[in-house]
Amino acid sequence: MAQDDSAGNTTFQVKVGPAESPVSLEVHTAPGDLKPWDLDTRFRAVKKRHPRLEAAQKVTGRAKYTSDVNLPDMLWAKMVRATIPAGKIVRIDTARAERLSGVKAVWTTDAKLVRFAGQDIAAVAAVSQEIAEDAARLVEVQYEANAFVTDLEEAMTPKAPLVFGEGQAPAPPNAPRNGNVIGPLPPPTLGGARGGTRGDIEKGFAEADTAHEATYRLAVHTHAVLETHGVVAQWEGDHLTVYTSTQGVFMVRAALAEAFGLDRKKVRVITEHMGGGFGSKLYPSAVGSAFAIVACRLARQTGAPVKLMLDRQEEQVCTGNAPGALMAVRLGAKRDGTLTAIHFRAHTEGGIGQSARTGGPAGSMYAQCPNVKLEEHDVFTNAGPTCALRAPGHPQGAFGLECAMDELAHRLGMDPLEFRRKNDTHPFRKTYYDIGARAMGWERRNRVPGQTAGPKKRGIGMAHGNWYVLFREAVSVEVRVHKDGSVELFHGAQDLGTGIRTALAVIAAEELGLKPAEITAHVGDTQYPPGGTSGGSTTTNSSCPAARLAAHQARMRIAGLAAPLLKVKPDELDFAEGKIFVAADPSRAVSFREAAQKMPGEVIACLADRKKQFEVVRQDLAATQFAEVEVDVETGVIRVLKMVGVHNCGIPINPLTAENQFIGAQIQGASWALFEHRTLDQNVGAMVNPNLESYKLLGAADMFEAVPILTDGANAGNNTSATGMAEPVFVPTLAAIANAVFNATGVRLRELPMTPDRVLAALAAAGKGSKP
Amino acid sequence: MSKRPPTNDEAPFNVSRRTFLKTVGVGAAATGLVTPAPRAADAAVLGPDAVPLRLSVNGATRTVTVEPRVTLLRALRNHLGMTGAKEVCERGACGGCTVLFDGEPICACLMLAVDAVGHEITTVEGLGTPEKLSPVQATFAECDAFQCGFCTPGFVVASTALLGKNPHPSLEEIKAGLAGNLCRCGTYSRIFEAVAKTAERKG
Repeated sequence: MAQDDSAGNTTFQVKVGPAESPVSLEVHTAPGDLKPWDLDTRFRAVKKRHPRLEAAQKVTGRAKYTSDVNLPDMLWAKMVRATIPAGKIVRIDTARAERLSGVKAVWTTDAKLVRFAGQDIAAVAAVSQEIAEDAARLVEVQYEANAFVTDLEEAMTPKAPLVFGEGQAPAPPNAPRNGNVIGPLPPPTLGGARGGTRGDIEKGFAEADTAHEATYRLAVHTHAVLETHGVVAQWEGDHLTVYTSTQGVFMVRAALAEAFGLDRKKVRVITEHMGGGFGSKLYPSAVGSAFAIVACRLARQTGAPVKLMLDRQEEQVCTGNAPGALMAVRLGAKRDGTLTAIHFRAHTEGGIGQSARTGGPAGSMYAQCPNVKLEEHDVFTNAGPTCALRAPGHPQGAFGLECAMDELAHRLGMDPLEFRRKNDTHPFRKTYYDIGARAMGWERRNRVPGQTAGPKKRGIGMAHGNWYVLFREAVSVEVRVHKDGSVELFHGAQDLGTGIRTALAVIAAEELGLKPAEITAHVGDTQYPPGGTSGGSTTTNSSCPAARLAAHQARMRIAGLAAPLLKVKPDELDFAEGKIFVAADPSRAVSFREAAQKMPGEVIACLADRKKQFEVVRQDLAATQFAEVEVDVETGVIRVLKMVGVHNCGIPINPLTAENQFIGAQIQGASWALFEHRTLDQNVGAMVNPNLESYKLLGAADMFEAVPILTDGANAGNNTSATGMAEPVFVPTLAAIANAVFNATGVRLRELPMTPDRVLAALAAAGKGSKP
Repeated sequence: MSKRPPTNDEAPFNVSRRTFLKTVGVGAAATGLVTPAPRAADAAVLGPDAVPLRLSVNGATRTVTVEPRVTLLRALRNHLGMTGAKEVCERGACGGCTVLFDGEPICACLMLAVDAVGHEITTVEGLGTPEKLSPVQATFAECDAFQCGFCTPGFVVASTALLGKNPHPSLEEIKAGLAGNLCRCGTYSRIFEAVAKTAERKG
């Protein structure tokens, strides 16, 4: 089965894909890599449901997050933020703040211009959190206000005030610029197989029997992480230690080392636990603030540790968001449902930042459509910059594309699911349609949208989405077996709440025949072997294969110690349930601990690098979502009743935590579709809902029945056959809910969030409103 | 610049709240920081300087010296080293700082520490330890009723209060009982499962 080529690569046949329709794939692994786990592997720990290793710490309030770190003699810092959306900074007067008893240091920005209400202006460090807040209020800033623009469509008009002057805008080189609009943008580089523009769009529409064209729009969505961004910075000589709530400890280390001219080894960054990121914590500080560098400066200046946690208002305005978008989608198809053309033209609302690309789904999901044209544009407004959020640009793009697909299916008189089947070449997704349709009861949907009698109308919709097989290769894991038989695992990457700490322990447990709870896993520290920044659903795919290699090395070393005790060769041994036994005769066994005690020293330490990525079935990951809703046509209130998702994350290392992430994606999607709406005051240019009571999140009372179905795609290109999965499952949720609303009411809402006022207005416009 | 305000002041302090208010309530009028409404003859105004308070937290008496404007949440987190309750929204919108106040769930960010004097405060740390989890904590752990875990202390306390009042809540009653708590990772269904399982085990 396995064979080596001259380069030392080994060829394996792996069985991948949904169990219902497996695919055999030939892969070529790098020298020294292990045979990939696949559908035929019999697991002892992997694919079983394991509570998190840190569960007891988290449920008792003992887990220490950055915001919980309080050091002796620590100072509290507080930022001062711009209160106007555009203008010049004339003067920053910190004298009153400095005179306040308890204030130890101040910082002021070098920037001369303000581009959004919320930009960094100044900071203070004081002996208590309350005094720091008082001092921040005493900083006086004088501005010379300029004209500004906060509305996407207004920013696109020729007369709109310019957010950036000539040559100042963050934009790709060679991208055309027209006022605040950048684009069409050049083809993206990330992701490999994003398809994109191809064929001849006009020819495609000429060949079509039916076409559909509409504009879809959705609001800016903020990450609204519960632990705000923040740091605790401490200097000891020229060594800097930073506790921070980040998705990338090594990324933060590199940025701080550069900012302070330090050797990276002199900077240590620690994230033991962190309270949510969703893409907003992929920056050394935040996309719209340099608070971490400010805190380190204040700490150096005062000689004391400094804690700087953003408050909720700051979190909502300057730490990034997912861009809103205006998407004109035009589709053409033949009478039998064959897609002939996709034209996707988008303007995304970047604030003062480079926006996310929304063309991914339109460019790559229907790979067999021969004629595709993508035109993506960034539009600047005087608002906080956007940044990555859970499959950047893809939930937006899939909302436009998949609602348009639903509308075209309706126009063709086709079942929306049949229409997808007709056009989808993805080898796994066709199976997902059957699994999902069964679990949702697809046959229950309205044959005629809106046909339910009475004011509470139910409907079912579906949509699908994609993301990419992404990974980082330069990561390592260390596994240490101690003489007493205890096992520790060390890896620098941080656990965002995805459960990577536990997943690594599950993998080590699988190799060593132990329980995951018997492995102590240490993560989130630059003192440990390198891990990647957690973004793009990359951490599982990157870190797990290195953990397997390190644990496998440890297994071989322990097998070498056990073999003489059992009078066999090491390769005749197997590991399970804390024992090492002769595979052919399990009654001949020693305990793991007995074998470990034979080690000559105190510890066996095994460090392994991730091997090179190998072949996958297809470069994109598929996810399909089905939604059932109830729309009250008298009040305009929409309730999601049920969501069923089907997704391939490779082999789920720990289904308990993987399904949890899956449900979380359904919830965040439903929240964006129905509630979340960043609102900027057009007269003063500030966010009017920078909080958690009027920036609405889906809450317990809004919760629906969530059904996450994982299939063993095993489409990962690494020895564990596992990929991350936070993102693909999120992508189709918005469109699935919008399509269900159409099925319920017969009225199409093309703007998110679908708040009651919009629902009632759409029903009234369609002549389907309730009589007063 | 003055010296740092005292923190973690554990010195014995034996006065009743009323006596204490009388003795320390000077100086506010002079600072002009407060415009008191007409008040009872024996009432007094505190601060603005730090004052010692005696709090009953998780069954133990703790003294803490804080400015009267300091919230219960910050007294717990910044002065008593109890960081289980989280500072999330700072205005009672998310339930991340939920503690029990004489057995009732409240947002510790909306209460001044001084107003907690004379009342029993229970935080998530007081419900159980990693070695001996409370029934709610045990089912949260088993059901994986969290991801990042930042909202978890608030949900654990709110769920404990809910089950105290209604030992066998329906799903709708669980949803209503936890409607004041937000989870951004999206673990509500797991939390409902954990609460239902706790109720089931109690029989």
